Amino acid sequence: MSNVIKLFSNIKLFFSYHELLFNFARREISQRYKQSILGYAWVILNPLFQLLVMTFVFSTIFKVSSFSVPYIIFLMVGLLPWNFFGQSLSSASNSLVSNSPLITKIYFPREILIYGTILAKIIDFLYSCLVLIPFFIYFHVSLNWQVLWVIPIFIIQLIFTAALSLIIASFNLFYRDIQYLLNLVISLWFYLTPILYPIEQFPEKYRFIFAFNPISVFINAYRQVVLGGREPNYLSLFIATIISILFFLISLLIFKKQEGEFADYV
Amino acid sequence: MSNLIIKAEKLYKIYNLQRQKTFKEFLPALFSGSKTRKKVNALSDINFDLFKGQSLGIMGKNGSGKSTLLKLIAGVTIPTMGDIKVFARVAPLIELGAGFHPELTGKENIFLNGSILGIKKRDMDKLYDSIIDFSELHNFIDEPIKFYSSGMYMRLAFSVAVAKTPDILLVDEILAVGDAKFQEKCLNRIKKFQKSGTTMIMVSHNIEQIREHCNQGLVLQNGKQKFFGSISEAIEKYQKIIT
Repeated sequence: MSNVIKLFSNIKLFFSYHELLFNFARREISQRYKQSILGYAWVILNPLFQLLVMTFVFSTIFKVSSFSVPYIIFLMVGLLPWNFFGQSLSSASNSLVSNSPLITKIYFPREILIYGTILAKIIDFLYSCLVLIPFFIYFHVSLNWQVLWVIPIFIIQLIFTAALSLIIASFNLFYRDIQYLLNLVISLWFYLTPILYPIEQFPEKYRFIFAFNPISVFINAYRQVVLGGREPNYLSLFIATIISILFFLISLLIFKKQEGEFADYV
Repeated sequence: MSNLIIKAEKLYKIYNLQRQKTFKEFLPALFSGSKTRKKVNALSDINFDLFKGQSLGIMGKNGSGKSTLLKLIAGVTIPTMGDIKVFARVAPLIELGAGFHPELTGKENIFLNGSILGIKKRDMDKLYDSIIDFSELHNFIDEPIKFYSSGMYMRLAFSVAVAKTPDILLVDEILAVGDAKFQEKCLNRIKKFQKSGTTMIMVSHNIEQIREHCNQGLVLQNGKQKFFGSISEAIEKYQKIIT
């Protein structure tokens, strides 16, 4: 019960600092491409080149099947949300450590730093989605109203991402090994998520691992609603929602419990 | 007492210094049963009450726990045992410009730092002109602050920190900001705050400065409270310690 009260007072405190959240996100975005000529265009160019290279390798060389849709379309619907997830985790893991001067000097709710980096990554994600448009037009991909499901799916993915980021960021503050381990885990996770290949190509007896991989649930749901024009699998989406929210609440409690010691260890 | 602004009760801060910095060192130590932590008593049994409008000078040798006490008051870290209650908005002048980002312009940094200090954007818009006037950086405000000299950097940081009259002002030996003229301006600003009822807490080795600005004194030695009371007695006690 006391935990519930603590959660509510934390959420209230968080809202009183919402301006700081936007300022951190703005800081992250505006500093990143300073002194570069193309500036923010890199946010679009990066995934574009990534897509072209991967499409060449996996579609032309390895001949991965993608059923009725062109491979590049199939790939980008999975890759862009994955990029958001992976980049959020890796920049959140460092967000506390790289702001150590702030943490040791001034009080503010520390989770704002993490939400700020994630918010910056959301903006990146939205811009990177612009890449989709020319390809969708070129390949005549037809969309229907089911595509609106993308919004709730993204919100659930966001909650899951935030939960994991809170945990990783606070542990990385105590042991810097986490950030190196994270790089390894993310690349492994990437291949164990059906992004490059359709789930049907995975050996059937090992397919159960996707049930333990929330990201694969999200990726599959995106593909169902965008490419298939079908309703998402309600049951697995429902389970993912419950797990994400619970995970987030637990992460926030752990984070808040350790918060008081951040300044002593960072 | 409604004017009570800070109450410290049996305050302890114990730092656990990790001997092993990485997993690689930590895991073998865990299994071999050797000690993984070293305890350091940074503060033990600190008790004091501070009322609105009073100003406290904290004195002690290096490593006696002065900065730790300021961090506890600022809410940056939490006490290991005991309790500290702070009933007002704290403006830390502990390390100036902590939230500044070198790639951003002076103007962007002013707003960023304001929101870190918990000042609303609406208030910042009103304070903005007075901040620039105080810092005297009109010509440079749209430049990234990585091109600022260190004096300009400190002037901007100080101007943001003192833009809004705080309830509690924490000062940690930073009055060496800029040239003599700017320093005087800073001290005048602090005096103005004190007149309007701001509680100031100051850490300094400069006895004259403390005598001039404070009416209460706290003397620390090796993390223990040697004295708390009127400033003249506190300075006497402190001088005994250092000689």
